Amino acid sequence: MTFAIEMTGVTKRFGAVVANRNVSFGVRQGEIHALVGENGAGKTTLMNVLFGLVQPDEGTIRINGQTVVMDSPRRAIALGLGMVHQHFKLVPSLTVAENIFLGMEIVRGGLIDRKAQSEKTRQISAEFGLKVDPDRRVSELSVGIEQRVEILKVLARGAKIVILDEPTAVLTPQESRELFRILRRFADAGMTVIFISHHLSEVMEVSDTVTVLRDGAVVGTRPTRELNEDELVRMMVGRNVNFDRRPRKAISGRTVIELKEICARDARGVLALRDVNLTVRSGEIVGIVGVDGNGQTELAEVIAGLRAPSHGEIAVNGITIAESHPRAMREAGLAHVPADRLARGVDASASISANILMGRQYAQPWAGRGLIRWGRVREFARGLIKRFDIRARNEKTLVKTLSGGNMQKVVVAREFSRETPFLLVDQPTRGVDIGAMERIHDEIMLKRDQGAAILLISVQIDEVLALADRILVMFAGRISGEVDPEKTTEDEIGLLMAGGAERPRAAA
Amino acid sequence: MEVLERIFNIALIAATLRTTAPILLVSLGGTFTTKAGIFNIGLEGQMLLGAFFAVLGSIWTQSALGGVLIGVTASVVVAGIFSLFVVTLRANEVVVGLALNLLAGGLTITLTKAIFGTRGSIVSGDIVGMPRIELPVIHDLGPLGQMLSGFTPLVYLSFAMVFVVWLILYRTRIGLHIRVTGEKPAAAEALGISTAAMQHIASLFCGVLAGLAGAHLSLGYITMFAENMSSGRGFMAVAVLIFSNGDPVRVLFGCLLFGFADALSLRLQTFGLSSYLVLTVPYLVTLAALFALTYRQRPKLFRETAETLSLIRRRQA
Ligand SMILES: Nc1ncnc2c1ncn2[C@@H]1O[C@H](COP(=O)(O)OP(=O)(O)OP(=O)(O)O)[C@@H](O)[C@H]1O
Ligand SMILES: [Mg+2]
Repeated sequence: MTFAIEMTGVTKRFGAVVANRNVSFGVRQGEIHALVGENGAGKTTLMNVLFGLVQPDEGTIRINGQTVVMDSPRRAIALGLGMVHQHFKLVPSLTVAENIFLGMEIVRGGLIDRKAQSEKTRQISAEFGLKVDPDRRVSELSVGIEQRVEILKVLARGAKIVILDEPTAVLTPQESRELFRILRRFADAGMTVIFISHHLSEVMEVSDTVTVLRDGAVVGTRPTRELNEDELVRMMVGRNVNFDRRPRKAISGRTVIELKEICARDARGVLALRDVNLTVRSGEIVGIVGVDGNGQTELAEVIAGLRAPSHGEIAVNGITIAESHPRAMREAGLAHVPADRLARGVDASASISANILMGRQYAQPWAGRGLIRWGRVREFARGLIKRFDIRARNEKTLVKTLSGGNMQKVVVAREFSRETPFLLVDQPTRGVDIGAMERIHDEIMLKRDQGAAILLISVQIDEVLALADRILVMFAGRISGEVDPEKTTEDEIGLLMAGGAERPRAAA
Repeated sequence: MEVLERIFNIALIAATLRTTAPILLVSLGGTFTTKAGIFNIGLEGQMLLGAFFAVLGSIWTQSALGGVLIGVTASVVVAGIFSLFVVTLRANEVVVGLALNLLAGGLTITLTKAIFGTRGSIVSGDIVGMPRIELPVIHDLGPLGQMLSGFTPLVYLSFAMVFVVWLILYRTRIGLHIRVTGEKPAAAEALGISTAAMQHIASLFCGVLAGLAGAHLSLGYITMFAENMSSGRGFMAVAVLIFSNGDPVRVLFGCLLFGFADALSLRLQTFGLSSYLVLTVPYLVTLAALFALTYRQRPKLFRETAETLSLIRRRQA
């Protein structure tokens, strides 16, 4: 048996936090190895150690039988490793092609040959079936497409060992399936793949071996075919978890938010929303699904006041919002969980309590006479850390030191703890583990039963099917259909997402 | 009318190009550090030391080229010290920059006194200034040709550098890595690009150009060194860099504006206006214009017209 990767006795401490505890972990060459565990279990840290981004306190790493000291990513790359990071490492002002070739530019006569890079990108993109436009700036892309760029970046480097940290968190099921088909092809050709995921069905479907981490330590490594999903869940969280459609009582409330004839254009002036009309009533969850890049991002931005619509109006509780501005929307009663937590959800270099305060900083009882009442804020933050099971030392912990899923919980906790009539939740469970997902779903249902109007945007169709009262499908910037979650199937939704009878427009 | 003609003539354009050169050179140096994510407030000091050592070098070597080389070396050394503190030792860049500015001011005064025994300035027949280049063909193209001819080499170089710097930053590997370092260091590190190395390199590039700017001040049109001779140009460069976000082409326009206002104010002085007031003109004009420029670049709100709307609806049907 040849191990492509062998990590022995790896321990990593961050101050008092032990992120990895004497972890021993082996991956055979040519296999697809899934790494699973709750938020904060230490998965990202372990992979960062392997990739040379973080130096372990103890332990050794062997690559193809050779002991190596991974002192920098440069060494890892030289040894044939490639990593897709949980939080993207793309440069917004550069184009897709420039990002993919960063660090291995095609140079001719001392200058970068941008044409050749674009051409190569186009080829690679076609070869791997991940559609991107080489000449677009990354700042104009949606998270789903950014994810594709990150994956292409690694594949283009011809890595022999590929680490993917939650690559499918923002991909639709179809896109994920496509990605794993590609990875399987590579594995058959001898590539070694490690991927981290919270979608256990996907883990069961595509992996050869699973390693479970809990609290920084390995619970076990098992061949996937000897496991079933329930066992896996129990290994991870120590109990069963509810994934079924949530039971509900029909509530027919008054209209809380109404969008009339909304049009919007993206940075290049291309129409992103075409005449969108929708209403969300009190006590109702309206789900929005669609292949990424069909207007969901822009819809969320318009509602959040982050993007001025080019036509149409928004009314909350019957009152038209005059000015497109986040504060105006928030004061009208919006709570918003944005899709990209690091860009829009948190200030990573601030503490949890400062992040919890954000958006309330003008309001009683958190502020008075121009001063912030930190004592109250901290006490409140402590309560939320408990309620949302945020794994952090205390409320003073800086958000940037939290694991990805725990950052997400901070955003969800802040927004769900506001008593607002309307919630816009965009990928609310991005990167959270199944236990936390269940809890967030509970919170969404609780808000619904309390009479909030909820607009749920998600690439996880099963999530929308479990929660929504009505599902709207978006295609090419407009609402292409509405389905009843009680009666529909994933196939019907998939068809509508692809434009139904209409010809699909380039999603990128 | 006559007065206006005396102020605005071809000579004014020539003067503008001349006064633009030093601030342009130092600002272009600053584009490297700006793009690499360093806020370099030490430009003023680097330029001042460059000016001082250029004069010293010119006297020692009895050649203008020698003077320029020694001036540049001096400011590169300062730039190296700056990045050593800021990048390697992670000191605060504003504090280090300010300290080096103060040091440059004090050091030049002290050394002037120690070496020449004078206070305030070094004026000597031994200083070899830079030659003026008469461009052979262009010179014969009438008044316009004459206007573009007869500058010192650094004036031509400064304008050529706009293109060179742009090329380096936007078309070469090292430039790309410098920009990525400033914009998203985590991305650079994850791909094995050393951000520290890039910041050192950017700082040294900056030192070279700041040194040239200094040499232009002291060996260009006047061959002398005066206390605080950079007179805030390095700080103006910082302002230009902030407004232009380090983009070489926008830097050029900001600097031309400053150069023009500077040349104009020199002109106005000859009309007996209070020199203190007039001297503030270039700074005020440049700041106001830069502000107006950034203000105009706010994203504009796009609204659909009846026509585009009907188009959107028709496609839907
Ligand atoms: N730079 C850091 N400083 C301090 N603590 C850290 C740092 N990075 C990670 N940690 C802590 O180490 C633990 C493991 O984090 P890690 O990011 O590896 O979790 P994870 O398994 O990837 O979780 P998720 O599924 O949420 O991404 C967490 O408790 C986290 O707070
Ligand atoms: Mg993680």
